[in-house]
Amino acid sequence: MIAEFWSQIIAVVRIEFTKTFFARRSVWIYLLALLPAALFFINSIYSKRVHERLAKIAIEHPVRKDALRSIRRGMTADQVVQVLGEPYRKNSREFWNGRPPQRHERLTYYYTDGEVDVTFFFNDGTMQGIGRSGGGQTLSGLQLVFASVFQLYFIRLAIFFGCAGIFTNLFRGEMLDKSLHFYLLSPVPRPVVVVGKFVSGLLATAIIFSASTALQFYAMLRGFDSIPVHEYLHNGGWNHLAAYTGISVLACAAYGSIFLAIGLIMKNPAVPSALLLLWESVNAFIPGSLKMASVVFYLQSLCPIEAPPDVTIPPAFLALVAPAERVGTFTGIAVMVTLTLLVLAASGLLSRKLEINYSVD
Amino acid sequence: MSQDRITFDNVSRFYGEVLGVNRVTLSIPPGITSLVGPNGSGKTTLLNLMTGLVRPTEGDIRILGIEPRDPRKMFRMVGYSTQFDSFPRGATGRGFIYSFLRLFGYPSSKASALTAEALDVVHLTDAADRKIAGYSKGMRQRVKLAQAIAHDPQVLVLDEPLNGLDPLVRAETLTLFRKYAAEGRHVFVSTHILHEVDMISDQFILLSNGYVVAEGQIQDVRSEIREHPLQVTIRCKQPHALASKVFEMDHVVEVRLHPDGKGVLVLTRAAELFYRKLNHIAMGDFGVESIAPADDTVKSVYEYLIGEESQR
Repeated sequence: MIAEFWSQIIAVVRIEFTKTFFARRSVWIYLLALLPAALFFINSIYSKRVHERLAKIAIEHPVRKDALRSIRRGMTADQVVQVLGEPYRKNSREFWNGRPPQRHERLTYYYTDGEVDVTFFFNDGTMQGIGRSGGGQTLSGLQLVFASVFQLYFIRLAIFFGCAGIFTNLFRGEMLDKSLHFYLLSPVPRPVVVVGKFVSGLLATAIIFSASTALQFYAMLRGFDSIPVHEYLHNGGWNHLAAYTGISVLACAAYGSIFLAIGLIMKNPAVPSALLLLWESVNAFIPGSLKMASVVFYLQSLCPIEAPPDVTIPPAFLALVAPAERVGTFTGIAVMVTLTLLVLAASGLLSRKLEINYSVD
Repeated sequence: MSQDRITFDNVSRFYGEVLGVNRVTLSIPPGITSLVGPNGSGKTTLLNLMTGLVRPTEGDIRILGIEPRDPRKMFRMVGYSTQFDSFPRGATGRGFIYSFLRLFGYPSSKASALTAEALDVVHLTDAADRKIAGYSKGMRQRVKLAQAIAHDPQVLVLDEPLNGLDPLVRAETLTLFRKYAAEGRHVFVSTHILHEVDMISDQFILLSNGYVVAEGQIQDVRSEIREHPLQVTIRCKQPHALASKVFEMDHVVEVRLHPDGKGVLVLTRAAELFYRKLNHIAMGDFGVESIAPADDTVKSVYEYLIGEESQR
């Protein structure tokens, strides 16, 4: 009987996967998935250009890193030139200010060590401020950006909406198309149809979103020289990629099972989906113990790099919400898999009561 | 409980407060069974109950001894061509039936062969690789029929299967139904084309407002409708003489000459007695050529039972 169920699941997957993966209505899901990869790609092109420009300047106007770091506010322009040499570019501007108006001079000196573009601002010969650009493009800095994009956009929005679009349609879409009865007129038990549809949805979303994760990772690294990239990959980088890809698949499975159940039960899946989105979105603002009743908490716990704290939380509110302790990898995976299986089992039971009454739907 | 019958035991189905069918008890033998009734009488509900697409509010249904809630056993024996004129998106005729057969666990080669066979039976081989969305109404009807018969079911359930078919295909489809019935299978047809029901049915079920108004063989049902005299057409050479002879019988309430002058139409309240006496008359000098009941048709029964009911 098990062999029969397997062959039926494969038959359902064959039908559903092509429909799901190549559906015209899935185009927006591809766009959602590919958006961060495109942004990382654009960033890699931009940062590579900046990096090449700074490296070229650094050869013509060499500056030592430690010397650059030693510069402090309050130093005069002459002292800076004494330490670093002539800037590769400088601007000066005169202006009148005060009562009676007095003449002032504003100077801007540009230096680079080949990685960071540093700008010193002088008023009347004394340094008032330091600016850095081309920064944040260090590999470690970009890893933090990746972690933030992955946790705040990719899991919470891209995978969430992608799964909502694909999994709710597995049953509800066929109800609307009036074609669900063909499954129910075959010798396939309904829970097997549920599993087959889930597997096909999971395959489609897992391919889309894990491919996007890998693309993002590649795009993040492509702006850097091969040596730091090689160093990173062999010092945990490959593990990070595996973790992010695995989290994408787990997210598809957990959200997918929930949306499949919603599509099976609800005539209008939009309302429960919106409520779920709200719950998952306010996760950052809720007390620690409640956080554990959300999918995104476990997914974030599994991330190899913690995203920087959410700066949008007002400080007063931060005092009220205690951050939940991240759970371990095993616990995180176990909770996600258990949740998926439980929701799937409940959907299988519910499917036995499913009736075809298209006129009502 | 008989293993070769379709049985309904006090089956009711309500949609909220709306009645689908009520207290239906049937025991249907193999052969062609026609389900007739006006729109909204519960025909499709009855078919959906049979095939498990909806569940009864109460009562028990068995298809050859199997409950509809057991799809693994049931749908290897049952093929259902529904009234829904919709198909999986982007499916071709061949792909649609092939995918359906793969769900039965047939290997690819077997599923392909059965698909080709079913498409051939409904004459859709040439259009098999076109998308169903581009099919005409008749072709869609045929591809549904092909899907229903592809796995060679013992019970064929068909909801308005003749809709949209041209006369030639319609005749071929009826022949197919007869062939199935002759093989001892069940062909359960819901239709509103009553003269075709007469042509093919072994028994019929008349539904009205969710209730079974009549069921069985048409002659048996007709003979039970006593408030309407039975009509018998007698073709003969001496219609005037025959008319006066027949009118002498007490139970004959009306005799009419046939418009073409070559027969009479007799209305009698005692069919059996009339036929018995008619045997003696036929031996007389009236030149009797044929004797045939004129209103033991589904159409007549439908009009007598449903027509009157709707007028009340």
